[in-house]
Amino acid sequence: MILLSGVGKTFRGRDGGRVEALSDITLRVAPGEFVAIVGASGCGKSTLLRLVAGLVPVSLGRVEVSGTLVSEPRADTAMVFQAPTLLPWADVLRNVTFPLRLMGKATRTTEDEARVLLAKAGLTGFETKLPRELSGGMQQRVAICRALLQQPRVLLMDEPFGALDALTREEMSIELLRIWAETGAAVLFVTHSISEAVLLADRVVVMSPRPGRIADVIQVGLPRPRDFAQEGTPAFHDAAQRIRALIYAKKEAAHGAA
Amino acid sequence: MARPNLTGPIAVILLFVIWEGSVQGFGIREFLLPAPSVILSEAWTIRGAILNHTLATLQTVLLGFAAAVLISLPLAMAIASSPVISAAIYPLLVITQSIPKVALAPILIVALGANEVPRVIVTFLVAFFPLVVASVAGLLAAPPELIELGRACRAGRVQQMLRIRLPYAVPFVFGGLKVAAALSVVGAVVAEFVGADAGLGYLIQTSMAFFRTPLAFAAVVILALMGMTLFALVGLMERVLFPWSTSSQTNIPAA
Repeated sequence: MILLSGVGKTFRGRDGGRVEALSDITLRVAPGEFVAIVGASGCGKSTLLRLVAGLVPVSLGRVEVSGTLVSEPRADTAMVFQAPTLLPWADVLRNVTFPLRLMGKATRTTEDEARVLLAKAGLTGFETKLPRELSGGMQQRVAICRALLQQPRVLLMDEPFGALDALTREEMSIELLRIWAETGAAVLFVTHSISEAVLLADRVVVMSPRPGRIADVIQVGLPRPRDFAQEGTPAFHDAAQRIRALIYAKKEAAHGAA
Repeated sequence: MARPNLTGPIAVILLFVIWEGSVQGFGIREFLLPAPSVILSEAWTIRGAILNHTLATLQTVLLGFAAAVLISLPLAMAIASSPVISAAIYPLLVITQSIPKVALAPILIVALGANEVPRVIVTFLVAFFPLVVASVAGLLAAPPELIELGRACRAGRVQQMLRIRLPYAVPFVFGGLKVAAALSVVGAVVAEFVGADAGLGYLIQTSMAFFRTPLAFAAVVILALMGMTLFALVGLMERVLFPWSTSSQTNIPAA
């Protein structure tokens, strides 16, 4: 579904110097697979998502989605940002249908499909509310519904729960899994939270910073459907521990070299 | 629901009471500072003429304001859409703002004749700049993630401008419109000082030539009311047409 091979990204800094954000990223994500990306700040996680989204061009290597080279944003790829990024002037329903209307792909059934999605996200009765009338968690649910309404084959999520409080965050991750399970979309999910990554993902990509590289890929062997009870299992602890070791080992190595 | 706030009106009434009392108590002469009651009675004796002057000024104000809106918004969109256009236009805008409009008015009247056109142009010149600046700021204020969302949905530059940037700019534009409405009144009076045979600016000049200070004060009060009314009307329009835009509105928390 998603294929990155030998991908590198270099930005030109403001002082004219070159900053290597990503180096030699090779990763394959299967259809319907949920892959989380964790790593310290500045390891290029968000850049990686934007490369797959076609928002930023690669400097080296190639990015493919569904077997074709990504050179611009694709209709079958949807993105969820850390901020809900809703249109303040549009109500919930019009926010959810905005991408399809923008792409001229809205049909007669679009609005009904949006209502069904909103119901799944527990937002029935809020269709005509404005974003500022909703809580942060509800706004982010709207943003997720907006992405899912495009029926994407690739769903890119850039710390979607990063701005939420811990309780809302846990609640929403399970909700996300429930809704995602019916879509069959391949997910790339960037997060700072190790436990969130393990709880959600089939595989966790651990990245090391400067330049961003894949340190290792951890297979999470937990059965689906996932729930919080699994956080107490040895398999969960084992995966989380291996990720933690990778992240901190890299940090110490970097300190030692410096 | 909170009680309506009466502090503002009470303060204004109190000001007029002190004004009236001091003028009468200290025996201040009328051509220096007339009492509110004198202003009112003098104005009432020529109410028909004052109405005509008011309508003449109002026409200039509204035409100048309309010109400012019609020119500023496309101009702001052009500036916001391209750094090249922005770099070309902004210095010109700053030059127009650096020229004192009072100095420009007589030149325009010679060039364009003693009619409504130069007055509308002066009004426009005084009013449009803050509107352009506020609109450009609004058009550039859309968060980068919203622009990225547009790009991810394969929106072109025109779509990005019309469907994301422009609606996002609405609160900013209305901020600029409020300033422009108040400044239109200033612009019209400046123009009338220089070349007019009617209008409240003209009334102030002719009244003061004959030391009829109360009439000049009456004109000033009407101008203030005109500015306040326009300001309020712009605010009302914003609340009616773009209810999501007004930040002052009470925020209803989700149940």
